[in-house]
Amino acid sequence: MDNKMSNFKYNISEALELPKDLILDLPKIVIIGNIQINISNHKGIIEYTQEVLRVNSNIGIIKISGTNMELKTILSEEIIVKGNIEKVEIIN
Amino acid sequence: MGSIKAWNFLRGYVIIRIEGLTLERFLNLASSKDIYLWDINRIDYTTLEMKVSIRGFRELKEIVKKVGCRVELVEKRGLPFIIYELRQRKMLGFGFVVFFALIFYLSSLIWHIEVVGNESVSTDEILTTLEKENIKRGIIKYRVDKDYIEYTLLNKYDIFSYLSVNVEGTKLTIEVKERDLPPEIVDKDSPCNIVARKKGVIEKVIARNGKVAVKKGDVVQKGQVLITGIISDEYSDYRMYVHAEGEVLARTSYSCKVEEPIVKTVKTETGEVYKRYELKIRDKGIQFIQGDIPFDDYIENVREVKVFNVNLDLPIKVFVHEYKEVQSEKIKQDVELLKKSNHIKAVENINKQLPANAKIESKDVKHYIKDNKVITYVVIEVIEDIGEKQILN
Repeated sequence: MDNKMSNFKYNISEALELPKDLILDLPKIVIIGNIQINISNHKGIIEYTQEVLRVNSNIGIIKISGTNMELKTILSEEIIVKGNIEKVEIIN
Repeated sequence: MGSIKAWNFLRGYVIIRIEGLTLERFLNLASSKDIYLWDINRIDYTTLEMKVSIRGFRELKEIVKKVGCRVELVEKRGLPFIIYELRQRKMLGFGFVVFFALIFYLSSLIWHIEVVGNESVSTDEILTTLEKENIKRGIIKYRVDKDYIEYTLLNKYDIFSYLSVNVEGTKLTIEVKERDLPPEIVDKDSPCNIVARKKGVIEKVIARNGKVAVKKGDVVQKGQVLITGIISDEYSDYRMYVHAEGEVLARTSYSCKVEEPIVKTVKTETGEVYKRYELKIRDKGIQFIQGDIPFDDYIENVREVKVFNVNLDLPIKVFVHEYKEVQSEKIKQDVELLKKSNHIKAVENINKQLPANAKIESKDVKHYIKDNKVITYVVIEVIEDIGEKQILN
């Protein structure tokens, strides 16, 4: 049922060229070089240290590894991370 | 980005340090409550440092209770805190007010009175006149009645044809235009004599009215009557008074003596300058001496150090004594050249004294050498009108 619904949504967004992150309620991750990552539509922080940041989201846990990482902003919709980013993983 | 920083500065923010075990939960709660946190940094395993606005900081207290961690305030930043601190320092604010009041007060005084365009009436005279009317340095400029100043000065001095008074900043400028006064005209109807203006030998007398009192070759003294306006009859006591008129041409002489030493000491500056400063409070002075003047022969030059380049009579003055080193040299000058230059100097001097309508008759130049000096006498004889009208009473 859930799968059907999301399939339907996917088809609509394809047909109407609507942004999928809004229709399907998916996180949007923007990486700027290796110095900054913006994650919008997140579901909260699980872990934060200077080396590892784990953020919960609809598609699983987004794990960002790097050094000297700093949370520039935390809002209910968006997290901005600054620092030297080495790895982005999505753990389902 | 800069504008956000500036906005945060204006609103004011605090840097806090949070210690606890479930710091991620704290962050999630804060974001879900819409508390804006920024520049979050992990210091060690149990500590986070972050910035939060003043309002956000108050709202955080609830979350802190729920999560059970410790909050430490590290630093307060921004305009609201600066204002708060300044409010505590009342004397600073007082000083600020005094400063502006003083500036305002001092700039509303007249510090300098300038008189422009006066030629025959001296500036000092005008200033003393104004001082009697209580217009002097140090009065408040809003109280200066320009019309009154104009009225007073124009009334007192007939020679002023135009006057304008202006206040520019702290300077009072009085602009004056003088008119050319017509020469005093002796009334044609009133009886008068013509008398000698100076000593001379009469050459020619042309009387248009009145009776000639001297003849050619007479030596007349200053003030002697040349053409009289009193005509009397030998046989009667009757006297007629007329307005004497005419020209009296006389031979007069002008002389000039010029001295010039043959051996002259010329002082030339070597360019070496030694400076000494002096501080003068009213009449008492302190000289700041750094050793003796290192020159044998020097010219002293005292100069006042002026503040802001304005002529102000301040009670405290700073003077600079400049000692310029000079070298004296004795130069022997050529006698013939000296004679020539003396001659020219003397003639120039005499020319300044000569009236415009004088006719030069003869010139006599004599040179003497005495006491190592060249002395030159120049005598110029001219023919000029020496008559001057004098009203008879």
